[in-house]
Amino acid sequence: MAQQPLTTASVPTDIYGGDEVSALVLDAGYCHTRAGFAGEDVPKSVLPSFYGSVAGTRNVFGDECLVPRADLEIKNYMSRAESVVEDWDAATNIWEHMLIKSLQPEREIHPSKNGLNDPDTKAAADGEGDVAMEDAAAAAAVASGEATEDQEKPLAESPLLMTEAPWNSGKAREKAIEIAMENWGTPAFWLTRTPVAAAFAAGKASALVIDVGGANTSVTAVHDGMILKRSIQKSPAGGLWLSSQIRSMWDSCEPKVDVVPTFMVESKVPVDAGAPAQAKLRKFPFDVSPSFRAYEEERLLTEFKESVVEVWKGPGKYTNPGNEELVKSQPGRIFEMPDGANQMWREQRFRVSEGMWDDAAALPTPGADPITKAQTIPELIRACLNNVDVDLRPNLLGNIVVTGGSSLLTGFNDRLNSELSAMYPGMRIKLHAAGLTTERRFGAWIGGSILASLGTFHQMWISKKEYDENGAGIIEKRCK
Amino acid sequence: MASHDVRDVLNLPADGAGARPSKKQKTSAPRPNLKGLAREVQNLGGDNPIAIVPQISSFKKRRFASRKPAAKWEMRPFHNSARDDATLILRHWRRKDDAPPAQPPPDSHDGQPADDKMAVDESSAEIEDSSFAKFNVKVHVPQYSDDQYNSSLANSDWDKDETDYLMDLVRDFDLRWELIWDRYDYQPDIIQSTEGGDLPGDDNPSSAVVAARKPRTMEELKARYYEVAAKMMAVQKPVQYMNADEFNLHKVMTSFNPAEEARRKKFAENQMSRSKEEAREEEALLVEVKRIMARQEKFNLERRELYNRLDYPHAETTQDLSAFKTSNGLQTLLQNLMTADKSKKRKSIMATADGQSTPASAGASAHPGSTPVADPKRESIAASTTASNHRDSIGAAESRPEKPTKKGAAQPAERRKLTEQEEQIYGVFTTTERLSSGPTFRYERINKILTTKSNAQHQRITNTLAELDIPGRLNMPTKDVVDQMAKLLDNIQTLLELRKISDKLDGEIKLEQAKKAEKDKLNAPAQPQPAASEQASDAQKPSETNGDAKPEAASSTTTDAAKAAAPSTDSANASAEAPHTVNGEGAAEAAEAKPKDGNAEVKKEAAEDKPRPGSSGGHKRSASVLSTVSDQSAKRQKK
Ligand SMILES: Nc1ncnc2c1ncn2[C@@H]1O[C@H](COP(=O)(O)OP(=O)(O)OP(=O)(O)O)[C@@H](O)[C@H]1O
Ligand SMILES: [Mg+2]
Repeated sequence: MAQQPLTTASVPTDIYGGDEVSALVLDAGYCHTRAGFAGEDVPKSVLPSFYGSVAGTRNVFGDECLVPRADLEIKNYMSRAESVVEDWDAATNIWEHMLIKSLQPEREIHPSKNGLNDPDTKAAADGEGDVAMEDAAAAAAVASGEATEDQEKPLAESPLLMTEAPWNSGKAREKAIEIAMENWGTPAFWLTRTPVAAAFAAGKASALVIDVGGANTSVTAVHDGMILKRSIQKSPAGGLWLSSQIRSMWDSCEPKVDVVPTFMVESKVPVDAGAPAQAKLRKFPFDVSPSFRAYEEERLLTEFKESVVEVWKGPGKYTNPGNEELVKSQPGRIFEMPDGANQMWREQRFRVSEGMWDDAAALPTPGADPITKAQTIPELIRACLNNVDVDLRPNLLGNIVVTGGSSLLTGFNDRLNSELSAMYPGMRIKLHAAGLTTERRFGAWIGGSILASLGTFHQMWISKKEYDENGAGIIEKRCK
Repeated sequence: MASHDVRDVLNLPADGAGARPSKKQKTSAPRPNLKGLAREVQNLGGDNPIAIVPQISSFKKRRFASRKPAAKWEMRPFHNSARDDATLILRHWRRKDDAPPAQPPPDSHDGQPADDKMAVDESSAEIEDSSFAKFNVKVHVPQYSDDQYNSSLANSDWDKDETDYLMDLVRDFDLRWELIWDRYDYQPDIIQSTEGGDLPGDDNPSSAVVAARKPRTMEELKARYYEVAAKMMAVQKPVQYMNADEFNLHKVMTSFNPAEEARRKKFAENQMSRSKEEAREEEALLVEVKRIMARQEKFNLERRELYNRLDYPHAETTQDLSAFKTSNGLQTLLQNLMTADKSKKRKSIMATADGQSTPASAGASAHPGSTPVADPKRESIAASTTASNHRDSIGAAESRPEKPTKKGAAQPAERRKLTEQEEQIYGVFTTTERLSSGPTFRYERINKILTTKSNAQHQRITNTLAELDIPGRLNMPTKDVVDQMAKLLDNIQTLLELRKISDKLDGEIKLEQAKKAEKDKLNAPAQPQPAASEQASDAQKPSETNGDAKPEAASSTTTDAAKAAAPSTDSANASAEAPHTVNGEGAAEAAEAKPKDGNAEVKKEAAEDKPRPGSSGGHKRSASVLSTVSDQSAKRQKK
């Protein structure tokens, strides 16, 4: 950023000037975990937060490894309800995989310890390339055995900035700094909340951040680069919830839509719209675990979401009389299932997303609590604003940052705008939603990347020395 | 495809049948020199070659010439003195040949780099400080000791711990109240358990009460902080020694009104939770207001333009100036001006006098030349200089179209107008009399008044002045003084005239009385009913006196009218009683005069309208009244 070979190279005169210190940025979400170098505009490494656990001993990361095989369970190291780390061992694993293996230069490892000569691992590695990781125990052994003795810690060169959900617990935060400092030996560390980072990514220090992610949708007010804790509102009405809506819509369809994920299909023949699929399904000599199938189904649902589902633009609810008739009269979208069955979707594609805005329109999902009125996006915003000082509200309404993958739904911003103008008539309402899909999906990461490369941010880092002196508790004192 | 090729294909002669061989020769000459793309482009032109100047590109050469070894970059460590832990050394890429920027000797972080330098000194010269360190600023939060707290900051609602907590938050969040309020989470029981030892035993119930307390509002927090800050400010520096800034700050802090603030917020909240209809209505109203304002503005603009058009000459009209350069032209101009003023005056008086024609206009039309132009002109100028007078000038606007033209000659087009106040400050005034050429002394005006009088009159005026104890020659002839003096002389003159008349009347009355007494003596024994004869004689008497008095009175009234500028109100008031007392006589006189003069009635009305020293009541004015009047004018003069 500031490295142009100009005479001013060494002295950034601007308060917003960048000053790279080759920091790393890690943004962990329920659906994806993103890692990369500060100062870049997209993360170098994006992996699903779902990982494969092979026979309960080894973890494999990355979509390439998530193929049907025996004993493969798909797990997520994050918690569905909270979008915070649940399984710290797996988290450490996947983070090391991303930050150290993919982003750090190769280090010389003694052949006896590099794993290639290990008969067990070799066999496994053949199948899935070199992406598979040592299991947690082996990694720990490597860390404790080698790293401490003749090798410096893997991240000794790079400060690390991580993001966290705004409701993250103090314990989880301490755990994060502990891992970064003790396991990886980062010289400096910082934790920032995703809404703050998303606001920075939009170039704002104060904003109302609406993050429609995978597991959760949250609305948070950010003032001067800090979240207002009382304003935090969270609801499950995110991408996964939307998937469940699609699923119940498919289940209630006439005829019922079969969910056959891609990996099951060996070959298919084109069929007419609405006709039953004629596909040859693959047979596996082992039991495919339900978690793997669910993961694959989720991929299918996501594809449907991205290509078919749309949000009713407003004004007013979709269920208002006349709207559905209007939609029915307009061209729909055809979606072809992996097994070849295809169908035109018209009014249903608006139906499934309406529950985000209107609890009465949500489809019933078996085995899950129905969404409440307070969990709809407009109510989240209202509750959020009611919990901040009244003087801030107009400014927040004028700086609404929309981020998160599910906000990419067609018509989302239009609906949000119309809901807000109906809720706050006469106020200036301005939405800032990045135009690029990457910027929307990686909003929090990009904000972290900006933050970590700011010259003025150097004074913020928690240094290793400070950590050593104060212990993990320092994170609560510093990262407010 | 070049034109050659086309010709080739079409089997045409190659070089345009050699129409212009000489030209061809020339143009084809440079061709072989061209290479590559340039030649192709040249070929496109065919027989009419495009003027391409083949340029030897200097790019390559320059590149080779300026080739330098690539700049070397290095990972250079640096620290940031703004950090609490300034030993953190981060590294960034910097050009190698770049000397580390000369940095100011570390002052604020003296202690820290000392040992730091020790460690690194051998390896590198010195670790540079981050250039961003200077951006770290902190707010200053009031500090207080326990004693100070107890003596001046104690508050029933706040204990010291909570106040400390508040101050910490204020420091942590740099006085951003929204954040402070958001994070404010004071837990008294925790504090109590840690400090339980040194707190008095009665703290338990109080803390229980405190724990149940509802959360602090932002206004409470602000109020407390401002209270503490203001008091500590005053403790450090008593209010009377504060400089302006400090005092203002102190005042702002002490006058913080949480209730008011809360009310304001409530109001703002209501404002935000309006319904759509209310919002729309308000918006409509605002639009309406805006429209009205815009219209008002436009209207004002138009009006101003109109005024300008009335009072100031147009740029075009100044071109007509040549028309007035001859004496003939000037004469017509004067005429125009006068008729304009007349009509204007008639208009304005008509408004008050119910459309009756006025003696002024009659008189003016009778002798146009003799009436001084000064008066109406002054009026019109006053109208142009003072905004409040614009109305009557606009009222007369339609009736005097010649005016702008005339003014165009009299005044330059664009001139900054001074306000009345400015005129006073700068001593600028517009004179309305015709000036003689060259500078004159102001007191000469007074002298002129005196010298134009007959010798006897002059003598009398000087006597009166002496009586009033006013020097005939002014010590300080400022404009005001001279004006007052002129007025005074005017009044004196009127007074003298009236005195003369009253003397005359007195004499006649005495004469008549003497006659009557003689008659009575003769008739008393003969006829005992005097009433009828007396009536008759009374009726006859005024007619006789009238006959004598009239010319003088008439002349005096005409001169009065001409001199206009209604006599000072004091003298008018003083004389106000005069018409009353002599009412009977005046009425009789008027009744008598009626058949003779058609204007008499109007004259009387005008006299009532503008009371001036009654033409027939002079004898009623006592010396004392006179003296008070002159005293007043004398006083004014001295001012
Ligand atoms: N174009 C798209 N249209 C609709 N939904 C999309 C699109 N792209 C991604 N999504 C959905 O966005 C979700 C992922 O969003 P994102 O990566 O922001 O979540 P996350 O940050 O990993 O999760 P969280 O913030 O809840 O922890 C997925 O559920 C995915 O289905
Ligand atoms: Mg997210």
